[in-house]
Amino acid sequence: MAANPLEQFVIKPIIPLQLAGYDVSFTQSALWMGLAVIAATLLMTLTMRGKAVIPGRWQNVAEMLYEFVGGIVHENLGHEGRKYFPFVFSIFMIVLMGNLLGMIPYSFTFTSHIIVTGALALFVFLMATLIGFMRHGFHFLTLFVPSGVPIFIVPLIATIEVISYLSRPISLSVRLFANMVAGHTMLKVFAGFSVGLGVVLGVLPLVVNTALIGLELMIAFIQAYVFSILTCLYLKDAIELH
Amino acid sequence: MSQPPDDLEQRIKAAQHRQKPPVSPADDANAPPSGAAAAMRVATDLVAALVVGGFLGYWLDEWLDTRPWLMIVFLILGFAAGFLNIYRAQTGQDYKVGFTRMKPPNDDNAN
Repeated sequence: MAANPLEQFVIKPIIPLQLAGYDVSFTQSALWMGLAVIAATLLMTLTMRGKAVIPGRWQNVAEMLYEFVGGIVHENLGHEGRKYFPFVFSIFMIVLMGNLLGMIPYSFTFTSHIIVTGALALFVFLMATLIGFMRHGFHFLTLFVPSGVPIFIVPLIATIEVISYLSRPISLSVRLFANMVAGHTMLKVFAGFSVGLGVVLGVLPLVVNTALIGLELMIAFIQAYVFSILTCLYLKDAIELH
Repeated sequence: MSQPPDDLEQRIKAAQHRQKPPVSPADDANAPPSGAAAAMRVATDLVAALVVGGFLGYWLDEWLDTRPWLMIVFLILGFAAGFLNIYRAQTGQDYKVGFTRMKPPNDDNAN
């Protein structure tokens, strides 16, 4: 009777498509990713059309988002980080929109898939590494060799540092993915309790669920924030090699 | 559209001054998080490094045909890297690589 709480994460193709033996169907995940991009673009363009000195409600939303991310970038990267602002802002918006659109009933949370968060994290990771190499050349590798370490344990320390460095995209993507899956599964489980307990007792899990939705909205924002702040931290290592 | 006020220069200065210590909540992110968030964080950090270590060892073993020795070594190194991650997260250094920033700010003669 009560639906499987993990069923909501199943990818369903909308337009089945095969290309060179690969399944490249247009899925509901892709649909919501597209909608997230459109929603983010519309939010930032339509609201700023007026360009009023005294912002209205919608313009205020756009300005707050802009200043929020701008604050993160400035805090972590300083003046140098200005040119990376569009990158960080895009990452922030796609994650935020993915999380928030996922809160709409009957929608799909694409950030609840490790392949999506993994691709995002890997993109950030490769980007930061590339910027590091472009700015510092092979000098960037000294990142892994701490100063003042006896030469004979440098290989050991460097290996550990490299593993630590490589583990970043994994922990970055797993954190977002795990938070989304846990939250949405919990919502579904409590909704299932409501159905199972009937009209009278079912109100109790409904109350819990209402609170959980508030919590989930907060987590949606916090996770987007965490993702973008970690993006900044990675870029920081790449930019200012110490 | 309102006229630019006379004290615009001063106000820009003041705004720039306010920007110096930015008001963004980034300080919270560098401080050790509390409770369940910290536990979650520690778990992912440790496991992520272990996974990387394990896979690195596995691939090197496949490549050099030394199974299972490199995998054992790299799992242990991954464990060390995981604890390094945790240590950095807990001391508010986040994912900073290298030890150079670990010294206290008043320690001038190191480096």
